[in-house]
Amino acid sequence: MNMTAIVMFFLFVGITLVITVWASRRTKTRSDFYAAGKSIGGMQNGLAIAGDFMSAATFLGVTALVYSTGMDGMLFIIGGTLGWAVILLLVAERLRNLGQYTFSDVVAFRLERKPVRTMSAIGSLAVAIPYLLAQMVGAGALIQILFGLPYEVAVVLVGVLMTLYVMFGGMLATTWIQTIKAVLLLVGGTIIGFSVMSMMHFDFAELITAAVAEHPKGAAIMAPGVMFTDTITIISIGLAFVFGTAGLPHVLMRFFTVPDAIQARRSVAYAIGFIGYFQSLIFIIGLGAVVYVTNNPEFLTADGGLIGGSNMSAVHLSKVIGGDLFLGFISAVAFATILAVVSGLTLSAAAAVSHDLYANVICNGDSDRDTELKISRITTLVIGLSTMGLAILLEGENVAVLALIALAIAASVNFPVMFLSMYWSKFTTRGALAGGYAGLATSLILVMLGPTVWVTLFGFDTPIFPYRYPTLFAMLANLVFAWGFSVSDKSARASAELESFDKQWIQSEIGPVEEQS
Amino acid sequence: MQLRVEREILGSKDFQQLVTVRRWVSWSFLLVLLGLYLAFGLLSAYAPAVLAQPMFSSAVVPFGIVMGYGILLLTFTLTVVYVWIANNYFVPLERKIMASITSGTSQ
Repeated sequence: MNMTAIVMFFLFVGITLVITVWASRRTKTRSDFYAAGKSIGGMQNGLAIAGDFMSAATFLGVTALVYSTGMDGMLFIIGGTLGWAVILLLVAERLRNLGQYTFSDVVAFRLERKPVRTMSAIGSLAVAIPYLLAQMVGAGALIQILFGLPYEVAVVLVGVLMTLYVMFGGMLATTWIQTIKAVLLLVGGTIIGFSVMSMMHFDFAELITAAVAEHPKGAAIMAPGVMFTDTITIISIGLAFVFGTAGLPHVLMRFFTVPDAIQARRSVAYAIGFIGYFQSLIFIIGLGAVVYVTNNPEFLTADGGLIGGSNMSAVHLSKVIGGDLFLGFISAVAFATILAVVSGLTLSAAAAVSHDLYANVICNGDSDRDTELKISRITTLVIGLSTMGLAILLEGENVAVLALIALAIAASVNFPVMFLSMYWSKFTTRGALAGGYAGLATSLILVMLGPTVWVTLFGFDTPIFPYRYPTLFAMLANLVFAWGFSVSDKSARASAELESFDKQWIQSEIGPVEEQS
Repeated sequence: MQLRVEREILGSKDFQQLVTVRRWVSWSFLLVLLGLYLAFGLLSAYAPAVLAQPMFSSAVVPFGIVMGYGILLLTFTLTVVYVWIANNYFVPLERKIMASITSGTSQ
């Protein structure tokens, strides 16, 4: 039990609830609920986007990776930043120019609305739910360790809070919560990184020497290959980061909260600045944890392992740096991170159901506003309750497995379909469906048959599919099917879709013409 | 939007210039960054010794870490350059094209 941490935690929750009440009074229309009334400025949106990405997986997970494998963590640090360059250079402006609330709007711009939206809504859910579970299982473990609460109580707490934020506050509340948390996380990370460097007399070489001296693997951590050795795995990780980030529905949704493409571009630029800065801190924090936590008896269990697992290395390091007060601050920030990310994810899942499936597939795009909002709130409640249940069942599950499934699906289903619909004039509805479903099936099946699920979860001796990450194969399957089924499509629908590409192309380059004239 | 207007925009010099320059800028930036990342990945797999090679006079900081931080810095620099080009070159062109459409359709 850590009193400071508990006080900080309640302070944060109190502030966020006030924001939610304030936001709920201002959330009246669909645009308010899904896109914060398109009123968010570039810099704040940049912070919120960075906040979406700086999740528990980055702060705790990547620090843990650097802590245990050293240079292999660099692969994640670079990849996590480059994914944003893809968004800036290829996706952001076009997304804002073509869409309304979700990325499905873009795919459905000239392709047949119903089947395409159904597919991308399934894609969004397939990404959002495992990602959501990963964060919730992580949150449960964190709360359990920090506050001494039972795991189930912790999960229910997270679930109830996230459901409240989204149901009542919508995008406006989640954006503000995400912004505040991003600032807190940047401040916390800066303090840790700065303290580590100051204890090392601001000499990077000294930090490395000390880390090599303390780490059980010694000099091996300053070379790649502690964890990742084969080419296929390395390429799949790279692809998942670089293209999966641009396929995360909760991140893409943020581009609709700004008024125009100029602000969309500005938001990513800010986001890249914040994320790049934070990622460079992570490496220092990870090495700092090697130096100050690895052989510190205060943080070790009886059998020599780290208390709470390597995921807690950053949290332990904060205690070395600033005692219980700073530990409390960092724990509250880590919890806030999880809360903010799950809220964004839940909102994107709710939008997939209410905006894509209900409003556009069931109601033919002619839905009643109040009913649509009611549906999205009910969806939020259902998602909240069911993920709470699943997260309790998945207690002790490897968080990285779930987060990875999400990123791999995003890179194999959402990204290629969105990319082709933006850039390839001959892309047809048939191609989009074949590619999207092929990517989804391939990634799910390969994850099932791979070492993480087949061996670790099901307990078989050898995996049927030898690689941990399916991205390379699943993305390829999507592209091959999308290409084959598009070029062979000779239907009247296909030629009409080819003709309407010009209109889409113009709008994606210069923005919606009617809106501005 | 009518088909005639579409054809006019697609055929206009401004629009073609916008598309060509934007395509060139974004793809070349992207290929440089992804190429460096691929190089880092392939070096990890096939030539880990290269990334482990110490650099500078300290003889401690390995090349892989310098390269990693270098890629982060380059990503940030290219982002700033891209936004600068977009604000100073793409936006005026977009406005010009938009103005020509609205004056064209109102005739």
